[in-house]
Amino acid sequence: MAETVNAAGLPCPEPVIRTRKALQQHDAVDVIVDNETALENVKRLAEKEGCIIDITSQSDGTWILSLTKKGVAKEVKGKAENTPSAQGQTVVVISEDRMGRGNDELGYVLIRGFIHTLLELDRLPDTLIFYNTGVKLAADDSEVIEDLKKMESLGIELLICGTCINYFKITEKISTGIVSNMFDIASKMTGADKLVMP
Amino acid sequence: MTEVNYSVILFLSVSHALKAERLLKQESQAFKLIPVPRHISSDCGVCIRIDSSLEASVEKILTGSVPFSEIRPLND
Repeated sequence: MAETVNAAGLPCPEPVIRTRKALQQHDAVDVIVDNETALENVKRLAEKEGCIIDITSQSDGTWILSLTKKGVAKEVKGKAENTPSAQGQTVVVISEDRMGRGNDELGYVLIRGFIHTLLELDRLPDTLIFYNTGVKLAADDSEVIEDLKKMESLGIELLICGTCINYFKITEKISTGIVSNMFDIASKMTGADKLVMP
Repeated sequence: MTEVNYSVILFLSVSHALKAERLLKQESQAFKLIPVPRHISSDCGVCIRIDSSLEASVEKILTGSVPFSEIRPLND
């Protein structure tokens, strides 16, 4: 018996957060959504969680996403994997606390706008990597920290370069994301299907 | 689920937005500099987003110091 999450009428990012919670506790979850953004975001989360996804469009304009965790589905259905098309990992690299070269004041405006706007995209990135002065954006007193917290709640992985926060002496100001090392950063970057460097 | 109501302050130039940002920071106002949402304008501009309840106080701070073109609700 699948658990039902009625996410119709809920503002973003609630549908994704509730689906994620339900998937932590149940192997099969039906999610009701009433808009395409929520549909896409929940679908993406389910893909990332390795679920089999079956979408039914209803006459009242809502959709039901039937999500089944893959290991369970094999036992229950015993049939070939209906794997969602692997869309590939998108990794965004924030290597500076500004976007573009030439004017730092403007670059700082742009990078904040970029991070804010990532959350409004239909297709969210899978991972953000912060290194060099980019790590300053992930500190607790950063002006984009609320955006980053929201990303984390949506399951987006935030990797923060440990060497860099040590260098800038802001280690105690990092409470969002995962303090990471060069091995993880290098393997994420080389393993990405799409590497975005603003 | 409570949703915060936001307003945005629109400017004719990026430098005015930055001047307003500095001023609001000095006055310890809560705000966020964001790109102008697409439903408001397709220009590649920046605006300042504030909690709608702060509209009056922010307007008072900016008036006479930084020219702005409009304060309006973010959603509608």
